Amino acid sequence: MESSGAKARLHGVLRALQAEHRGQSAEGGQQSIEAACFAILALRNDPLADLKLALHDIEDLQNKDGSWPAFIGDDAEGCWTTSLAVLSLMAVGQETERLNSAIRWLLNAEGREANWLWRWRFRAIDHSVQFDPTKYGWSWVGGTTSWAIPTAFSVIALRQVRNRGINLKAVVSERIELGVSMLFDRMCPGGGWNAGNGIAFGVKCDAYIDATAIALLALAGHENEPYVQISLTWLMNRLPGCPSPYSLAWGILALASYRNVSSEVNETMDRACIELTALIENATGTRDKCTLAVCALAFEAAEGRNIFEVRA
Amino acid sequence: MIEFDRRRALISAAGLAVGGMTTARLLPEEMLLRDRRLARSKVAIISAVMYSEGLVDSLTRALSTFGLNLRHKSVLLKPNYVEYIASVEVNTNPVLVGAAAEAFRNLGARSVIVAEGPGHQRDTYLVLAESGLEAQLCRQKLTFVDLNRDELIKVAIRANYTGLDHLWLPRTVLTSDFVVSMPKIKTHHWAGVTLSMKNMFGIVPGSRYGWPKNLLHWKGIHRSILDICATAPVHFVIADGVIAMEGNGPLHGTHRHLGKIVLADDPVAADFTCARLMGLDPYRVWHIARAAQFLGNGSHDRIDLIAEGLPLRTKPFDVLPEFASLQMRV
Repeated sequence: MESSGAKARLHGVLRALQAEHRGQSAEGGQQSIEAACFAILALRNDPLADLKLALHDIEDLQNKDGSWPAFIGDDAEGCWTTSLAVLSLMAVGQETERLNSAIRWLLNAEGREANWLWRWRFRAIDHSVQFDPTKYGWSWVGGTTSWAIPTAFSVIALRQVRNRGINLKAVVSERIELGVSMLFDRMCPGGGWNAGNGIAFGVKCDAYIDATAIALLALAGHENEPYVQISLTWLMNRLPGCPSPYSLAWGILALASYRNVSSEVNETMDRACIELTALIENATGTRDKCTLAVCALAFEAAEGRNIFEVRA
Repeated sequence: MIEFDRRRALISAAGLAVGGMTTARLLPEEMLLRDRRLARSKVAIISAVMYSEGLVDSLTRALSTFGLNLRHKSVLLKPNYVEYIASVEVNTNPVLVGAAAEAFRNLGARSVIVAEGPGHQRDTYLVLAESGLEAQLCRQKLTFVDLNRDELIKVAIRANYTGLDHLWLPRTVLTSDFVVSMPKIKTHHWAGVTLSMKNMFGIVPGSRYGWPKNLLHWKGIHRSILDICATAPVHFVIADGVIAMEGNGPLHGTHRHLGKIVLADDPVAADFTCARLMGLDPYRVWHIARAAQFLGNGSHDRIDLIAEGLPLRTKPFDVLPEFASLQMRV
């Protein structure tokens, strides 16, 4: 099976899941906004997919303040999934007031360290994790500090908002720059990103493939920065032989975004696509809708259409 | 004759109410909670020099001494899988997880599943594959549930340590008949130790609270452990101390060959005993000391050691300097 065949198969499974489990996850539980958004992104160009209901479900769940919760039935508090909903609405051309209110929420959302009191605490008292609290991004849920993945997705969403001319206010660029500086600050000493603690309790922490890949997607265009170069190298060294389709797919998405940097990037991506195809053929680690959708998006990115592309 | 003064009576009543509420707030939380401790708890310490197939027999024998009735019951094993670090025993050993599953099947359990929600890594499958648990699950034909992405149920918290009134918890945990916490016996740079109660942090879903489960960290790690354990069921403990971790746990510590597995029908009694095996004073671990007031037994006179006894002398586990006070004097 080639990667195009694997992608078609993934689309088929995703379409069936959309039809059978409306409002539910692949495992039969509540639909998570994350999985729903990735499925919408993966199926956006599939002529056989009917996304109307999925989009309706997503729009229906938007909170009054413009944000999204984590899943159907969740408390009405905004969280990191708002960035994914923004990406999904833009991808299917739903540039409506819903999108604008979501962008406004994203621009106002910030990690706890944005508050002067917490900033003071992190500088004066709490040194368990080494970071610069003046450089903040977005949190998973309200009332907590900034983390790498929610910040990276918000930066991707806002960079696409700016590229599409949906909101060109200075605050958009300011938040993007602040988010980028936060990602650089939280990088692991050996390159790449984990949840967001480069050095914790005096120990240099290791990076994760998915967090590194998502951060690199957000930082596309910054390839002259040493932080990006060392992280790209880390990813290229770590990706071969990765047994998990989810991480492998995120790695492909990131490498696709940097394919023009060197032939080595391209070769690593091609090998990763072969490995991912084999894993899908064996149905290894593809138990949930989120993974299926991210794998389909990875194959699409390798073909030249990267939904997370942020270069203007 | 005493004249009834409505105004004064109202003021007095209001004063009593305010006074009562203030007193209640000043009392330690555990004094306001229903005492859920067993009359006596059973703990079995068994020796195991290595992770091997022989653990199935050892666990089956040890479990049968507890007189558990598991017929027609669904058993959920909750091991401790934070993330995978090559050549470091961070997680509950997969061989022990497999052995526990087989032992519970031997005792007649209707079903045995393994469930975990890693605290740092979003790619749960990667943790399973790299740690060797995936291979063990396949070998034993065990179902795994990713608690970070399971269906969630809103549950009122049955204690009041974090100030949260509810938690979203995985349906799989709440609907299982018999939940077994399977921690790796380790030191922890924030909570002092990570044992069976701290291990239950892993049931908190990342899909709702993030990776790491930061909202609860902000509410205080000890307080969160108490609220989680007061709310979610923990029926049994099998703690992995064959190779334990000391120093800068839970991830970057060093191996300590303790050679013990601890089984218990009470998580507080399990943690009390494990702390003693580590040469640490359980009464100085905030959440164990508090839990022993209402949730389970944390004193020698209410714990029956039904297999091996505690060693007379234990070299205390190395800890970070801020936890030096936990170490018991040799």
